[in-house]
Parts: sequence; structure tokens; C-alpha cells
Amino acid sequence: MTETPAAEIAPAPASTATPQENPPATTNGDTADAPKKLSPAELKKQKQAEKQAKRAQAKAASGPPNQQQGSSKDGQKQPKDSKQPSKEDKSRPLPGRRRASQPNVPAVKEPEKKAKKEKEKEQEPTQTGLFFGHLYSQPKQQSLVGASKDVHPAVLALGLQYSSYAICGSTARMVAMLLVFKTVIEDYQTPPGNSLARHLTSHHLGPQIEFLKSCRPLSISMGNAIRWLKDVIIKIDPSTPESEAKRDLTEEIDIFIRERVTAADRLIRDLAATKIQAGDVVLTFAASSIVEQTILHAHATGTPFTVIIVDSKPLFEGKQLARKLANQGITVRYYLITGASHAVKDATKVFLGAHAMMSNGRLYSRVGTALVSMLAHAQSLPVIVLCQSVKFTEKVALDSIVGNEVAPAEELLSEAERRLLLPLQTRLISSSSSSKVEDKAKATPPDDAPADTNDVMKWIGDAENLHHLQVLYDVTPAQYINMVITEYGSLPPSSVPVVHRLSTNI
Amino acid sequence: MQGATIQAPGLSTYLKSLKNTPVDASVEHFISLLKRRQIRNSRPCAIATTALLLRVVAEFKGRDAAKLIERIKQVGRRLTSAQPREVVVGNIVRRVLGLVREVVDEHADGQTPNGSEPGHMAPHPQHDSLHRPALHSSISTFSPLRHAVVEPTHAGIYPDNASDVSEHSRRPPLLTSHTSYAPTSAAPLVHSLFGLFSQPADTPSNTSTPTGQASPNGKSTLTALNLERLADLHRGQSLDLKGEVMEGIRELQDELETSDKQIAEVALEHIHANEIILTHTASTTVQKFLMFAARKRSFTVVHAETYPHDHTATHGILLTGKKREANPDDDGVDKWKPLTDVGIPVYVIPDSHVFAIMSRVNKVILATHTVLANGGLVAAAGAHMIAKAAKEHQTPVVVLSGVYKLSPVYPFDIDELIEHGDAGSVVPYDDGDFVDKVDVENPLYDYVPADLVDLYITNLILADTHPRTSTASLRTTTAPKILPCSHFPKEQAL
Repeated sequence: MTETPAAEIAPAPASTATPQENPPATTNGDTADAPKKLSPAELKKQKQAEKQAKRAQAKAASGPPNQQQGSSKDGQKQPKDSKQPSKEDKSRPLPGRRRASQPNVPAVKEPEKKAKKEKEKEQEPTQTGLFFGHLYSQPKQQSLVGASKDVHPAVLALGLQYSSYAICGSTARMVAMLLVFKTVIEDYQTPPGNSLARHLTSHHLGPQIEFLKSCRPLSISMGNAIRWLKDVIIKIDPSTPESEAKRDLTEEIDIFIRERVTAADRLIRDLAATKIQAGDVVLTFAASSIVEQTILHAHATGTPFTVIIVDSKPLFEGKQLARKLANQGITVRYYLITGASHAVKDATKVFLGAHAMMSNGRLYSRVGTALVSMLAHAQSLPVIVLCQSVKFTEKVALDSIVGNEVAPAEELLSEAERRLLLPLQTRLISSSSSSKVEDKAKATPPDDAPADTNDVMKWIGDAENLHHLQVLYDVTPAQYINMVITEYGSLPPSSVPVVHRLSTNI
Repeated sequence: MQGATIQAPGLSTYLKSLKNTPVDASVEHFISLLKRRQIRNSRPCAIATTALLLRVVAEFKGRDAAKLIERIKQVGRRLTSAQPREVVVGNIVRRVLGLVREVVDEHADGQTPNGSEPGHMAPHPQHDSLHRPALHSSISTFSPLRHAVVEPTHAGIYPDNASDVSEHSRRPPLLTSHTSYAPTSAAPLVHSLFGLFSQPADTPSNTSTPTGQASPNGKSTLTALNLERLADLHRGQSLDLKGEVMEGIRELQDELETSDKQIAEVALEHIHANEIILTHTASTTVQKFLMFAARKRSFTVVHAETYPHDHTATHGILLTGKKREANPDDDGVDKWKPLTDVGIPVYVIPDSHVFAIMSRVNKVILATHTVLANGGLVAAAGAHMIAKAAKEHQTPVVVLSGVYKLSPVYPFDIDELIEHGDAGSVVPYDDGDFVDKVDVENPLYDYVPADLVDLYITNLILADTHPRTSTASLRTTTAPKILPCSHFPKEQAL
């Protein structure tokens, strides 16, 4: 749990502050006051780091002329002086990528990070993200620092789990949010002179939702659930005693989860499992809880079939699914998205999970889904989407660009991949023609051995015009989708708005 | 895998070892390198094969062409069976075989000029006259392939023949190379165009005599040619088979070297300002192409990283402009800069993003491993979904391919052509539990059907071809000429 966010790669050594091990955010509420406690220490640390960085930079600035003479000895000596921070850097545990496997991201060094990010924003607001610039509006909240003090501790924990992808998947996020809201509501005290129905939504739930939003943009299902919850709250009779109202609310939430998720899952699962016939080769992309349930259910009924899982970096969600299915004794084949065209050849049916179904029948799901369904469609395979009606939305999407969620670019390269790139160092230094890169190269120790994987990100960050781009979702055109299975039954994608209207009782 | 090849035996060490190793040992060495995949991908394979065949021919003793052919065939058979999926090896062997046959044919024609079918004359009567006057200019552009293309030029298909013709080297042997790739497609021309030149052969005034001697410095004047030819005729059997074949192989090497450059030179005809171009893998050809265009145009490159095979190379080429396994000798010759250094914004995306981004992409430029006889191609995994997504979005797909990648292989069984790689790069083996239970697959290549490709750009600039509208033309006019084997059906099977 001493891992620090991998995002911590500033061009200047400022980021390489002394290691600081903070208790990671835990799932219970005790960390609520952590930010307040932390902040002064953090600030001090940051100042120290900045000082160090300045020193190092001054040294580096004096260095360049030497280096340019081309004497490699100079080059080696010089960075050693300025290596102070990077040594500390090494003493620090290797930063890992925030991953589902690392459920909690410690709240270390957030201020720096945010500062850096903001700086970047200022520098090149238009350049970042190709045509995804509009999605880079706010930096992702990855710590407790800066959270409003109204935010309930459980929500803080949840937010961090969101931003670290520990809780991932639109249904899981929604359920987790509702469960947390239950505690939030239970802990809620209506201030005197206010009615619960009026006050709770705007003044108490509002900040919680804002915080969650800042950790990761709300999923469609979360949006739907929040809308529903607000609707329920506002309908509470003001004369109801507070305790009773709270009890009613938590019951309502339980019912909602049971009806819209648990029961819906079961209905979908039972229906979808009948679509799997003996000898089928079921292909799925990434991971979806409902697809997993369907496959397991079909397997439990004794139908012999095999599964192909197509996965994609960087989240590798399919790996977990493959593991689970394989543990149940299902024959699983595992491909990465580059091999998708081969995977599709052997498949007979495609089951996809959804993040959301758009009103124009398009499927908004994990990025790569569109490719898989396109290939499957080309092979005339039935493409079946499993989706609870709570994920239906009245929104429409024509492309994957207008509405999407950008993921931090540094997540593109995993630790292992960065390590593979390390041997490039010598060449990078020798061949870098742009002076900018050269300067930075000096900051990194030229001797190969201690090269840090962080350097790789530094090179990429320094390389002008080189950007890494990552989004989380894409939109699958409706014509690739043959069937959507919901708890209301199976329907063509064109019926999505009807079901949406049905399910929201509008 | 790539990490291992840095210091481990690879192309550069092999080429070095070639000089002072006996041929048979070199053949064995190459075979083992192929088998161990320490030399892989089209270009290194092509370079190594040509270098090896040069040695084979050089060490060949005797004057018997049949034996030489047998020898090359034997080596070629071993090489191709060592790594059947590196189709390029076979291509090169076929080209060399074609070279030998052509030399022999030429010589035979010189001996018995009447042997050539007179019928050949008719289709291309003007060929001779057009071709000859311009014999000058650099040798580097001189390669059998270039000459092959001249064909259509004369036929009036390509209007800009003039420049091409002018590039022809002055060496009389040019004509030999030319003939060897003459179109087989045109039924009457089954053997070679050589007939054209030799038709009035016994009259010394026929300028285009196939001289056996490779005389690079020879003036291309008629008189010189005549004299040479006469001399040849007198010398009779003393044909310098070896010398000429080696000369041809060297031309082949030149071609391999310059093909990227030649492809790059047309870049400006295909890239307009502010385009968004999507490409994938670390292809030198594509990078050079884009670099060339970047001199004059500003555009944006979206680069799919081709995880898990080429991503390291992809990131490498974007950072340093160089492939890691690139021949170290290149370093001095042309200083590659990464595309980003010339002000081209490059966005690296995971492969899964291709569909999401395709709607904004203007052009897809793909590198390829091999181009097959039906116009389809075998390219790095992911190419198919990229091409397909492009098709779905009506985005043009351009494939850059050196001519040496054009192969006569017809994809009867596509799976046969697809190589599967190390599953460990998909899921590391330290995840033993997973690897145990789950069947992890890692196809390295994709087959991309011809109908997904809009344009091929080869180093025969004239061969830009839309595979669908003119699959016939790719196959019948261009490909056979480019694909030497089709000239000598015997070689098809190798």
C-alpha cells in the first residue's frame, strides 16, 4: 500500500520528494479528517521538494554547455550532482499504475500533482487530446485533499475507489454509490428549520455527488439512480418524522437495488443463457458482470460451450473475467484486441456488456467494443447486448468523441512496458536533436543501470508533439447490434427509448 | 523478444559474419536465425536473403546455369521451409532465380537470335525505341523492377513515363533485367520480351542487343552496344554468368535500400494539409513516408501502438525515430528524427481506440508484411480491424509496400500465413494460474482482404493500384511484372 500514483512524473525533479508513507484511504469513514491533518505536512514537503528542484535546476542549467561538447564523462558527472532527488526517487517504491488490483490509492503528494496538471492545462489547453480537448475540463480527483468538508467519509473512500478503478463498471459503481448513500442518509441530521425533503438533496447529497463526479465522471446508471433518488426524496411528505423518512429512504434504495439490479440481472441472465446453445463459442469483450453471470448460469445448466474473451489494455478487465470463468471449468480463450479479427472468426455469438444504451440505439461501452461488434457484424455473428434498463438513457450519441471520458495518458504505459523502453535511453540522448529533449536527457542519469521507469514517461512528456491519448468508452453503431436483452425482454436497439420511458415511468 | 535481439544474433551480426563464413555455414546460420525468429520481418529477411544469395552465387563454381539455378533453388527451398511465413525470403529467391534465367535466356538469345518468337514483337513494337534513348542517369534507381514498370508506361497507361525512362541506368544489362519481368499475363509474351530486342538480332544494327557482359560503365551508344554484342557473340560460351547474376543481386540490394525512399517520394501526392492520419506499428517505410510529407505539409498522426507485439518498437520509433533492431549501419547514413521533431503532433492510442477515432481520421496508412497475389495483405495484427473500421467510416486505406513484399503466394489458407507469437507477451508467464487455465492466443499478423485497401503505394511509383477496381490490373499488369516468379512458372513452387 505504499504505492504512489504513477502519474507523478513531472519534468522537473520536483515530483521526487522524499518518500512519504501515508495510510491509504480505507473503506471506512475514519479517513475523513485525513486531508486536514495531512495538509500542513504536505505543504512542507512540497516546499522542500520545490527548493530541491530549484537547486537541481540551477545545477542542470550550468551543465548544458559541458554536455554539448559531447564528452560523455562530463555528461555522467554532471547529472550525478543533480541526482540527489532521483536517488530519493529510487528509494521510493516503484510507482505502480493505479489499477483495479491496487484498490486504494494513497493520498500522497496530491497538491503537487494537481499543480502540475493545472500547469499543463494552462500551457497547452488546445493541444492536449487531439479532438478530445473538451473532455479535459477538470483534473481527476485522486486524493482526499481538497475535498469539501461536507463530504461524508464513506463517500471519500468510494471516490478514491472510483478513481483508482477499484470499483469499475457502471452497475458496480451505481450500486456502490447507492449503498454509500444509505450510510450518508443514515448519518444525516436535518438542521433545525429545514425539512428533510428540501435539505437533504441540495445541501447534503449535492456535495457528495460533486465529489464523486470529481473522482470520475458519473456513469449513466449513476445519473439515473441519482435522479431517481432525488425524486424519491422530494416526494417525502414533510410531515414524516426524520427517522422514519430515513428508514423509508434506505428501504427504497434497497428495493431499487433489488429490483433494478439484482432481479433485473437474474431476468437478463436467465433469458440470455437460453441464447447459449450447446457447442456455441461465446465471444465477449472486456468484462461485464451481467455477461459473466450469464455465462456462469449457462455453464451451470450444463450446456457445453466455450468462451473467447477479447481484452484490451490498459485495464485488462477481461483477465479477471477469464480467470473467474476458467476457475469454474469453462474453456476460455483469451485474446487481446489486436487479435480480435482472429477471435471473431471462431466465435458463434457475441455477448457484450454495456455502460449505457443511448436513445438512438447505440451502445456506449468500454472502448474497443465497437471494434469487436464491427468485426462480429462483418462475420454475421449475432451481437447481443446485455443491459439492465437502469443503464438506458435518453441521451443520444453519434460518435465516441462528443461524450466520453478521458483516462490519464500515463496509464497507457504499464510499468513493464516502460521498463521495456528503457534501453532506448542511450539512443534517445545521442539522437535527440531538439535541444529541449537534450536538456531533459541530462537530468536523467545517462548510466543505464539505475534508469527509472519514470524516465520513460519523462521522455514522452518531454517529447514535444508526442501525446498519449486514452479514452474509456466508445459508441457502437446500432446496426452492429442485433439484440438488446433487458429485464423487459429482448428487443432491437431501436426500442431503447421505449424501454427507457417504460422504466422511468414518464 | 525484441529485448533479446539487441545483443543477440540478428541481422547485423549475421551480415557481418557472412563475409568470413563459408557459404554452407552461412546458410545454416541463416536458417537457424530464421527459425529462432532472430531475423524477422520483411526487410531484415530480404536483406539477409539477398546477402546470402550473393555469397551463394559468388562461391558457386562452374559455368553451368542449370546447376546454379539448382543450387539457388536448393538454398531457397531450405530457407523457405525454415520459415514459410517470411514470404519475402521466397520472393527474393525467386527474383534471383529469375535473374539467372534471364541472363541465360539472354545469352541463349544472343546465340540463337531466331529462337525468340517473332510474335512478341507485335504488342510492343515501340518499346525498344522508347526505352533506349534515355539510357543514362543513376544506377541506384536502377533495378529490375523499375524496368518492369516501364512496360505499362509504353503501353500508355501511365502518362508520366518520361521521367521514369530517364532514370534508367545506362548499363546495357538493364535490358536484361527488363526482360525478365516482362508480363506473363499477356498471353503471347509468355517467355520474355527479350524477343523484342533480339528480333532483328542478327543484324548488328539492332541496338538493344542483350549483351552478356555487365558493363556498368559502358556507354549506351549504339556503337558501343554493337561492339559489345559482337564481342559477346564471338566469345560464345564464355558468358560471365556469375558476374552478371551477382550484379543483378546487387541491384536488388540497391532496390531494397532505396525502396523506402522511393515510396516516400510520392508522399506529397497523398497527404494534404491538416490531415489526420492513422497508422500502426513501427514501420520504417511509413515513418519515412510521413517524414517526407512533413517537410511540406503539416498534419496530425494518430498512432495505434499495436500492443502487445510492436508496442515497444512503436514507442521507440516515436521517441527516437528509429527502430531498435534497425541496422546500426543506418545511423550514419540518414539521421532519422522522430516525426515529432519536425513539428508533427503524434497521438499514441491503444488499439482499442481505433473505431472511436476513425470517424475523425482522414486517411489510414498501413505498413504491411507481405502483399499476396490476390491483392490482400498480411500485416501486423490489428491491421484488419483498422482497415475494416476505416472501410466502415469510408476512410481511405493506403498500404505502403516495397515491391519485394509483393508475393506470388495466393492465400488459399489464410490461417497458414498467420503466425502466432509468444503468449507470454499477452499474459506474462508469472501469472501461472491464469496461463494454466486459459488458452492465451497471440496472433502476430492479420490478413487484410484486398477490398479493404484503397491504394497500394510501392516503390514502383506507377504501381499505385486500387486493388478492387483494378485487381486485375494489379495482378495482370503490375504484379506479374513485379513478381518475377510468374515469369518463370517453375519458380512458383520453388
